[in-house]
Amino acid sequence: MERIWLLAKIDFKKRYYDQGLGILWALLNPLFKLTVYYFVFTEIMSNRTPNFALYLFSGIITWAFFAQGTKKGINLLKNKKYLLESIQFEQLDLFVSATLSVFFAFLFNLAAYLVIHLINGIPIYATILFLPILILNIFILVLGVAILLATINIYLRDIEHLWDIVILAGFWLTPIIYSKEALLEKFYFLAYINPMAGIVINLRETVLYGRQPLYNLFFYDIVYAIVILIIAIFIYRTYAYKAAEKL
Amino acid sequence: MDTNQPKPTTEVLPSKKEGQVSHARNLSDREVVISLKNVNKTFYIREKGADSIREKVMGMFSGNSKKQVKAIQDVNLEIRKGEFLGIIGRNGSGKSTLLKIIMGAIRPDKGGEVTTHGRMMRLSLGMGFDPKMSARENIYINASILGLTSKEVDEKFDEIVEFAGLKRFVNTPVKYYSRGMKSRLGFAIAVHAEADIFLMDEFFGGVGDANFKKKSQEIFAKSFVEGRTIIHVSHQMPTIREHCDRVILMEKGAVYKVGTPKEVVPVYWELMKQQRNEKKEAGN
Repeated sequence: MERIWLLAKIDFKKRYYDQGLGILWALLNPLFKLTVYYFVFTEIMSNRTPNFALYLFSGIITWAFFAQGTKKGINLLKNKKYLLESIQFEQLDLFVSATLSVFFAFLFNLAAYLVIHLINGIPIYATILFLPILILNIFILVLGVAILLATINIYLRDIEHLWDIVILAGFWLTPIIYSKEALLEKFYFLAYINPMAGIVINLRETVLYGRQPLYNLFFYDIVYAIVILIIAIFIYRTYAYKAAEKL
Repeated sequence: MDTNQPKPTTEVLPSKKEGQVSHARNLSDREVVISLKNVNKTFYIREKGADSIREKVMGMFSGNSKKQVKAIQDVNLEIRKGEFLGIIGRNGSGKSTLLKIIMGAIRPDKGGEVTTHGRMMRLSLGMGFDPKMSARENIYINASILGLTSKEVDEKFDEIVEFAGLKRFVNTPVKYYSRGMKSRLGFAIAVHAEADIFLMDEFFGGVGDANFKKKSQEIFAKSFVEGRTIIHVSHQMPTIREHCDRVILMEKGAVYKVGTPKEVVPVYWELMKQQRNEKKEAGN
């Protein structure tokens, strides 16, 4: 446990270590994205969703955690090959700590979100109590997918590029910059394929609007994430032994 | 056998140690900590290398695009607690692969069996370090992966740095370290991390520091007392002769000869001589 924490801490530090602005980049990146999308969708396409900036920002940072966390998993074994070849230890720890390190940035952004939320005069609703469960839900999902991708990467190096495409498609098929109705009315099934859709929707329902989550998606996504993690661990245990040899 | 062969000029003369330690120790009553049974390893190497979709699809049509390389052949080995085992052999004879198999980083072919008892650490040049991070961080990572708590590392930190002689560079990223500094750091961590089994892969190849060498040798001698098991892969025969209880000579992935350093080292020189002759013939 302590080892996981230490690895995560050092990894997090290392990621922002060389750069002048350091950890601020974790915040600046989604803020820049927010500015671009906000400009395009309110000024050019005249979207009039109330609190659109907060709406966007919550979606962007949640998606960024998923995208960065899963991508990090792909080359994790390769990057840590020096450890695999030198020391015997529980390798899944590496994934937990890598996910944690991306998770720190997400928490940092979430705090920034809450600040803007309060500045805008929106109250903190009681339904924010769903937030920790949603966060845990994403964490488990990211961890599971990362382990899965890392194992696939041992045998199929193209996964890195394929996953870029999935991330791109996923971004547009998750209601990040458009409303949940736009997705759910026509393509409800997509919310069952892409668990991030339900998570992003419920995060806004509970935190931004103070409404109950969509319970069917809420529970579905929890089960989805846990099943993915279990499958991922199983596949990892069965196939990942070739990592040191093939990477 | 001709023992007065001309030694290659790179050979370092054995240190003038008075009354070389006799290693005729009887270890047969100790427990077996590493055991290899019928260990084989075949690598399948694609000419083009990477595992990509393109290669996989092409492979379906063109049949086998893979090349088989037998890296390890029928190795059976028992190593007892506290033994200092040397592994020698020419380049590409399978020494490093064997270490990785013992580590568990590479799984042997079906039918092979590897059992080990105790915490193992493999030491090689540039091993286990993240080049971007400082010695301080690397010490914490490595030690914690070896099972020490941060608190224990806190306690030993100064000692480790002192031992490695890197006090002035504790916060320098490891990428700026010389080979010697890296191996000193690795060894210092290993010694203090209390691994039970050390697998040393050409570990002192780059250490020129005489002072450190001396310290390491003291540690070697001490490690027997502490019951540590050491497997030492090296091209440096003086170290092998001085410390090893038993030496294994590998050739083409198989065990060519096992015995005391006295018995095995001359065979190694013989092989090296053969190789040189072959090269000469090939050159003509």
